[in-house]
Order: sequence, then structure tokens, then C-alpha cells
Amino acid sequence: MKKLLPLFLLVPAASFAADEAHTVVQKGRAFRPAEVSINRGESLTFTNDDEFIHQIYVQSPGFNFDSDERNPGQDITETFTAPGTFEVRCHIHPKMKLVVHVK
Amino acid sequence: MRPFIRALTLLLGVAAQPAFADDLFDGGKLLATGGVSQVEGAGGGGLANWALITGYGTRDGIGANVHYTAVPLPDYTLQTTGVAVGLFDRLELSYAWQAFDTQDVGAALGLGRGFTFHQNIFGAKLKLIGDAVYDQDSWLPQIAVGLQHKENDRGAVIAAVGGKNSVGTDFYVTAAKLLLAESLLVDATLRETKANQFGILGFGGDKHNDYSTQFEGSGAYLFSRRFAMGAELRTKPSNLGIVHEGAAWDLFAAYFLNKNLSITAAYADLGNIAIENDQHGAYLSLQAGL
Amino acid sequence: MKALATTCFLLALATPLWAQDALFDDMGGQPGINKLVDASVDNYLADPRIKDIFSESNIDRIRAELKDQFCVVAGGPCRYTGHSMEATHKGLHLTNANFNALVEDLQSAMDSCNIPFATQNRFLARLAPMQHQVVTR
Repeated sequence: MKKLLPLFLLVPAASFAADEAHTVVQKGRAFRPAEVSINRGESLTFTNDDEFIHQIYVQSPGFNFDSDERNPGQDITETFTAPGTFEVRCHIHPKMKLVVHVK
Repeated sequence: MRPFIRALTLLLGVAAQPAFADDLFDGGKLLATGGVSQVEGAGGGGLANWALITGYGTRDGIGANVHYTAVPLPDYTLQTTGVAVGLFDRLELSYAWQAFDTQDVGAALGLGRGFTFHQNIFGAKLKLIGDAVYDQDSWLPQIAVGLQHKENDRGAVIAAVGGKNSVGTDFYVTAAKLLLAESLLVDATLRETKANQFGILGFGGDKHNDYSTQFEGSGAYLFSRRFAMGAELRTKPSNLGIVHEGAAWDLFAAYFLNKNLSITAAYADLGNIAIENDQHGAYLSLQAGL
Repeated sequence: MKALATTCFLLALATPLWAQDALFDDMGGQPGINKLVDASVDNYLADPRIKDIFSESNIDRIRAELKDQFCVVAGGPCRYTGHSMEATHKGLHLTNANFNALVEDLQSAMDSCNIPFATQNRFLARLAPMQHQVVTR
């Protein structure tokens, strides 16, 4: 029991099983969850459950994309083809940040 | 009268709670868009009632103000003091106390020098449709209906000059439009009234004792956020045999220092009053509020 | 001749009145509008009544979009490619008090840009109806 306790103190990073749908929700001008771990080649579907139009982009040396905008109720899927840790952001709302760990 | 004062005291007491007051008295309307206080205490110009709701409360809040108006005429002096509340930019309630001092004319009439008529005027105005400020893409004006209930304290004298009643109620419909691209504010009002000289000489008369439809209108040009100048016309019935009562008009200038204080100065012609012709003179009004 | 006159009349009716107005020039063209947008956004961000509304926004993006939008509203040769007023403001739950505070800040910016009051009102008259889409609370 004692060994398990410290694990609960870690900031939870959602980890998806290989064949689960990987969904991140945009709501309240934030990503939920705020941090995920996936395997290389897998996709994330971003669902706009917000009252605002959003888009998503990653800008890093090894991997980048810049998506179209999505209205509330729409979604968009991006495949993460490179390993590493990336920040997914929104051009319209600079404070939105999703950390993606790609193994 | 007493219930009105109780309600007002309650409202002011509630409003005095700090945090609540900040939200409720939101002071959110644009400068000058509550008008000033017209001569019977309602929100409007000087002589004319306007469809604007008094005060700086937006539709989410409340505005209130007090005012004092003095109109020194050649032979008389008219003073008005009042308080008005604008509720959610929808309903306006006002109370004004008018004192009409007959000065030397009082002596000539055998009433005594400085004989003064007093009126209590209770007003209510309800905005029906439209927004004078935002509806710049439409010809629809802001339209309101209202009433002004007046009680004069000199029943005996009123009867002596031919007036039929010392209490009366005016009913009106008014439309206001801010023609922003032209920096013009215009308002037109139709009033059903029996009042003689705004009620100072009672209601109804020996010559005519029915309601008649009268017109009042204003046009103002906005020179800056704080300063407007304009003109008004107000027709009045002629119910009394002793004098022909004509239309009143004025040329005014209104200065809004900020959302707490405005001052209006005008040259006003109130026409014939009782036995004296040609009553024209200065009009000065101060409004303070939120 | 009648056909020509009728055609000209119908064309005149179809052209928005705005396009025939000199407002864009009276506001100093695009340079004047750019200066106005920057001054007004500075005012919004310094206004305690409304600055928090912008706390999650991309301010540079807003400046750029406003410069396009004001140009179009003033009758200038621009195309506004941003989203509708309703879509961009819906989630903010704005009140009339918020809207009016922004108008006051815009008026102060127009004052500091030396835009004459009558010209300011011509511009505001075109912005005012946006209240219907922008204010949702």
C-alpha cells in the first residue's frame, strides 16, 4: 500500500490503451485532459465542446501541423508520427496548451 | 404619497449595500443617453418628455437621480425639485414637486404677493419597443408610454379662474431616435391632457373640459460627448376663458460633466400665463445621480 | 433612354450607401485606422471594466482582424476574413455595460487620433447595430 501512495501524487497523465479512441475535449478554452501519452503513429481526435471556435497547431523541429478552424460541435483528428513531447496550442487562444508524450 | 416614499426609501436602502450597489447601479449607459429632467420630473429634455428611460442603469441595472429646475419668468417663478428612478432601462418612476410663485401678479389678483401654487407630480413611463442608441440600422424609434398624475394644492383659486379640477392625469406616447450618423437626437410625443399651464392652473376649464391631444417635440445636435444644443416645442390646450394659452418653446444647451452631473440652460417661452402675456425667460436645471 | 435611366436607378439602389461615403478617407485611410485600432486595443487592455474579457485572447490576432474589419465598416477597399460577430463573441456572455465600455474606450481612442466628433459618430453609427450580435447576456 505504501509503495502505491507516491504514484497517486503524480500529476495524472491520461494514457490510452492501444485500440481506444484517443479523444481530447476543448472546453472552457482549455484542453481536457491537459496532458496525454500515446504511441507513435496513433491519432488524437479533438472535439470542440466549447462556446468558441478553435484550431490546433504544433510547432517543433521534428514534427508540426497547423489545422483549420473548427466550430463548436465539430472535431478534427491529427496523427502523431514522430516520438517526443509536443505542445498542442491554439492560435486563437494562446493560453490553451495540451502536452502530448509520444512514445 | 407615503407608499411612494416608503418604496423609494427601501430601494435606496437596498442600493446602499456596497457590493450589491456596484452591480445594480451599473452606470453602464453611454453619457447623455438618459436625457435630463423635464419640467414635470420625467426623463426627457426641458419641456418635452422623451422615450429614453432616465438614469445610467443598463437593462441589467438601475439608475436614479435628483434634479432642481428654476424658471424665472418676467412675472412668475417656477421651481421644480424631483427624484427619478430608471429600472432595467425599461420602467421609469418619477416624483416632482413644483412651486409656482405668482409674485406681484398674486397681489394684482387679490391673492397676496408671492402667492404660490404647488403641485405633486407622480410619473411612470414604460419603454415598449426599440433602442434609440443601438438600432442605427433601422428606422424604428424607441417607443414608450407613460402618465403623469398631478395634484395641485390651490383648489379654490383654480375654481375661481374657471378651472374644473385641481387633480389631473396626463397620458402620453413618445418616440425617440438617435440619428447617430447625423449627430442628432429627435423625439416626438403625443400627450392626452386637460392641464392648464402644465396643471399649475388646474385641469379642465369653463371653455373646454375634455382631454385634448397635444404635441411636444425636441431636436438636439450633439457637439461632443458632453455637449448638446437643441430646440423644443410643446403645445398646450386652452381650456380657460380668462386667457388664451399658447404653445411653449425653448432653445436649450445641455452639458454633461460626467455620469453624475448635468446642467441644462435654456431660453424658454411659456406663452401666456393667467393674466400676463409673453412669459419668457431663463431656464436652468441641474441633475445629479447615477 | 428609359431603360438606361431605370438601370442606373436600380444600380444606385443596389449599391450600399456606405460605399458612396468618404468615411474611410475622413478617418485617415488604412494608416489612420491602424493607428485607431492600436490606440483602442490599448485602451481596452487598460480598462478595468473590460480588460479581463481579453485575458485568453490572442491580442495580435485581434488587432489584425480589427484593422480589416474597421476598414470594411468605414467603406475602405478591404475584405474582412474573420468570423461573424456572433460566433466570436457568443462564448463571452457580454452585457450592454461591457459593450458600452468598449464604445467609450473607442471614443477616447478616436479623440486621441484627432478624429472629429461628427466623423466619430458616422463610424459608430455603423458599429452600433453589432450590439445585437455581440451582446448575449
